[in-house]
Amino acid sequence: MMKFLRLSLAVTIDSFFESSRNRFFTIFSVFACAAIYASLLAGIMAVDQEARVITDFGLALIELVTLAYTLFYSSSVLLREAETKTIYLVFSRPVPRGVYLAGKLAGIMLTAAVMLAGMGIIHAALLALRGFRPPQFYVWALAGSFLKLAVITAIAFLVSLFSTSAVSTMVISGILWTAGHFASEVRFMTEHSTGAAAWALRPALWLIPNFQLFNARDAAGAIGVLPAAAFTAAAAWTLAAYLCSLWLISRKEF
Amino acid sequence: MNESAVSFSAVEKTYKRPRLLGARYHTAIKDLSFEIPRGEVTGLLGLNGAGKTTIMKLLTGLLFPTAGSVKVFGSAPTGRSAKARIGFLPELPYFPPQIKPCDALAYYGRLSGLSGPGLSLAVENAVERTGLGPHTDKRVAEFSKGMLQRLGLAQALLHDPELLVLDEPVSGLDPLAIHDIRGLLAGIHDGGRTIFLSSHSISEVEKLCDRVLIIVKGRLAVTVNRSGWESRPGGLEAIFVEAVR
Repeated sequence: MMKFLRLSLAVTIDSFFESSRNRFFTIFSVFACAAIYASLLAGIMAVDQEARVITDFGLALIELVTLAYTLFYSSSVLLREAETKTIYLVFSRPVPRGVYLAGKLAGIMLTAAVMLAGMGIIHAALLALRGFRPPQFYVWALAGSFLKLAVITAIAFLVSLFSTSAVSTMVISGILWTAGHFASEVRFMTEHSTGAAAWALRPALWLIPNFQLFNARDAAGAIGVLPAAAFTAAAAWTLAAYLCSLWLISRKEF
Repeated sequence: MNESAVSFSAVEKTYKRPRLLGARYHTAIKDLSFEIPRGEVTGLLGLNGAGKTTIMKLLTGLLFPTAGSVKVFGSAPTGRSAKARIGFLPELPYFPPQIKPCDALAYYGRLSGLSGPGLSLAVENAVERTGLGPHTDKRVAEFSKGMLQRLGLAQALLHDPELLVLDEPVSGLDPLAIHDIRGLLAGIHDGGRTIFLSSHSISEVEKLCDRVLIIVKGRLAVTVNRSGWESRPGGLEAIFVEAVR
């Protein structure tokens, strides 16, 4: 067990440094800083709602920029490693494919966590510059974004194992991401549909992760603490996507 | 303890290429059986598309046979115990351009189960044996093809494997690099290790190997020992040309 953990840690660290050395990481970082600064301008225009607009706009941008990068990276990493034959050097060693997959996934999640934390600090500093304190739910909102990113990264990994290109993986994952924010609407439509429409929508209830569970900003009126169910749901979806990926990768030839 | 290093028994590998309707099948290896005794240097010769890389990948567990069985030291090559005893150099190995050779080697060493002082020593040894010593401060992006090949060889040697599987180890190298790599492989062979290599270069195979397998269209056409090609006018080249024509 310790051996597997050590192997997984080696892959995680390598994956983290590789993703953060990617030239797109720099581009996304510069864009993120500019976008967060733009939230300040939007806040100034909001006049008496300045703190709320800066907070909501900034948090949304932080999430979207991190999503864009993690989706871009996780959709292409396995395909790229197979194309460049880097994966040959890994799978010809005593590295179980599940351990490698877990390490890669953890590395990208670590990158996402660092991006969220970095941008969160910049955003909080900008709020302080305007004389506002980050609201109580702020850290929970970032935690909610992280949970969503963990789920969508695991899904992107799964999709990349059967899709033919990184673009199609990004498109499918992007659709699931969008649909996940309308999970209760999908449920409502399914419950009120009959016949073929109900048949078509029912599997969607299982396939679409409910990202509304992770929106701490929706609970801004209250303390905004994410419920334990949100963490359990994120762990369950991530694990399910990981296990499906494991099933696929263990049968995959390189 | 007397088991062969490598054993292929009636191995077949058919690739399935999915199409819009159904699939297209291509048999790359058919009814292939051979053994490689421990401590031998065995070469694999064949034209492009003959199935050499498929054999290498079957041997390292990257591909699974459609029929028959592949054994490495008596175990399936997909198992951890077999993989721990193999060092693999794929054709044209790739390393992330922004890293330094020792970082790449440390990563692959960790994946081979090395850690602590043992890992540092293994990296140091591999760097020294492959002549990468003067280039450790450079990034992989600055490496020539020959240096990349040396780095590829270094990662294969890191964990001191009992079996070295080398796919085109001298492909695209200059004569000096070929000479150095030949010397390195001869040293490894003298240490009692088993080497299985594929190459397009008949003269290299002739110089390095104890025995050569000639593959034609996925089948084993000829097996020839050193004494066999040394006693034949025209040497290994004549045997190869005759086999593939």
